[in-house]
Amino acid sequence: MKRDYRHDLEKTARQMILVHRVDTLIRLILRTIMKNIRVKHSGIFLYDKYKDEYVIRVSKGRRGIKIPEGFAKIKKDNSLIRYFTDKELSSFDQDFLLYNRINYYLKYSRSKGRSDLVDFLEDLKGQLSLFQAKACIPGFFRNDLIGILFLGAKEGGGVFRPEELGFLSVLASDVVMAIRNAWLFEDLNKQLDKNKKLFLNTVIAFATAIEAKDKYTSGHTERVVKYSLIIADILSKTDPGVSAEFIENLRVAALLHDIGKIGIPEEILNKKGILTGKEREFIFKHPLIGANILSPIGEFKEIIIGIKHHHERYDGKGYPSGLKREETPLIAAIIAVADSYDAMTTDRPYKKALSKDDALKEIKRNSGKQFNPRVVGAFVEAFEGNKI
Amino acid sequence: MDKRILLVDDEVEVVNFLAHFLKRFKIPTLKATSGEDAIRMYDKDNVSFVFLDIQMGGIDGLTVLKEIKAVNPEAKIMMITGKADTEHQDKAKELGAIDYIIKPLDLVDLKEKIDKYILQG
Repeated sequence: MKRDYRHDLEKTARQMILVHRVDTLIRLILRTIMKNIRVKHSGIFLYDKYKDEYVIRVSKGRRGIKIPEGFAKIKKDNSLIRYFTDKELSSFDQDFLLYNRINYYLKYSRSKGRSDLVDFLEDLKGQLSLFQAKACIPGFFRNDLIGILFLGAKEGGGVFRPEELGFLSVLASDVVMAIRNAWLFEDLNKQLDKNKKLFLNTVIAFATAIEAKDKYTSGHTERVVKYSLIIADILSKTDPGVSAEFIENLRVAALLHDIGKIGIPEEILNKKGILTGKEREFIFKHPLIGANILSPIGEFKEIIIGIKHHHERYDGKGYPSGLKREETPLIAAIIAVADSYDAMTTDRPYKKALSKDDALKEIKRNSGKQFNPRVVGAFVEAFEGNKI
Repeated sequence: MDKRILLVDDEVEVVNFLAHFLKRFKIPTLKATSGEDAIRMYDKDNVSFVFLDIQMGGIDGLTVLKEIKAVNPEAKIMMITGKADTEHQDKAKELGAIDYIIKPLDLVDLKEKIDKYILQG
């Protein structure tokens, strides 16, 4: 074993604190171990709290000897687990278990006439030989056994030396601390995810309520989502930026694009005649209001952009920001076309619907003026392919 | 034992591990990492038992099971399946699999099944 194992230990300990994902962490630890102690294989069993058993999460080693990750587990009542956790076995060394030492324990137990211990130890030997482990180090957090590190035989034979066992024990306790942190972090993230989903679902519920308020547009949102996704699907064939993530953001943005209308009085939304200047100001505000509603959550940045700019025009005469040409992000440009097409093809209080073909003509006519030409191109392709 | 155990799993690490595991009990094996290879390699005069993964890309395990059973209705086949796979497990039994092991598996269980189906056969 290298003399600078202490240096490696410190370096690993520092790195461990930075790693939040449990799998990455234990992989790092195993790499450190294999670098310093040459064994044929090694692995880490980690406690699975949902199944109440220990699963091999990481392993390294020679072909065939190495146990594939996620392939094997040990149950809680396994003698190996009991060896480390059973208080009645405290006369044995519970800081680590060496396969070769079990014979000493057996001798001791036989001399004391403890046939129960003999049976237990024979079983323990069997367990270790099943996965060819020569040394096992437990990882405890307070009284909970979080994991077990096992090592196979050393390359070229030889026993595990005291300083190697010391190195492994210290590593094991650092590891457990770090794994605990990683688990807490994972739990926290899961909770955050749950909260985000809850927030989103609440907002979507509001969006549905708003649509119900605006009686001329029932189904509008659904159709805008549909058209947007069809356009995106066609664009994805030539634009790598239209990824699964982009499409998911688009879907939500399209779903919520009119949520800002919650701030607009019903009389204005459903007015039959021409809007006054003041009334129109309300309408112009709705993208901003919508963006504001979602602003508490940073992860929704792309969605917010889609909502905020879905009324921009390619020629810069749109609102709220007067963005020109490619300044308008694609996500908003797509919704703009989808939204307009649906507005044209449904009856509104102030006008009747156009036919599908006439609406398509209008969209084409406004390519480069109101609409992004690339988006129009995709829309036309979809229309001609009978997807719209 | 002249006949071999055929190991089929698209994860080569699993096949290697099982081969090595069985070697410790002096059981010779054949390795296949795809359904196509498995069907090609199966021969009732050479193969006494099959370990077969259900979830594989290409030809899946249930199809391989059907094909081998068609060639030899007496074929003894143990499926390897992931935990969430209950509908496939039932289907496998229906199609004539002798048993199945669920990943992650307890090596003790694996040894017991080997004792039961192979070492006593």
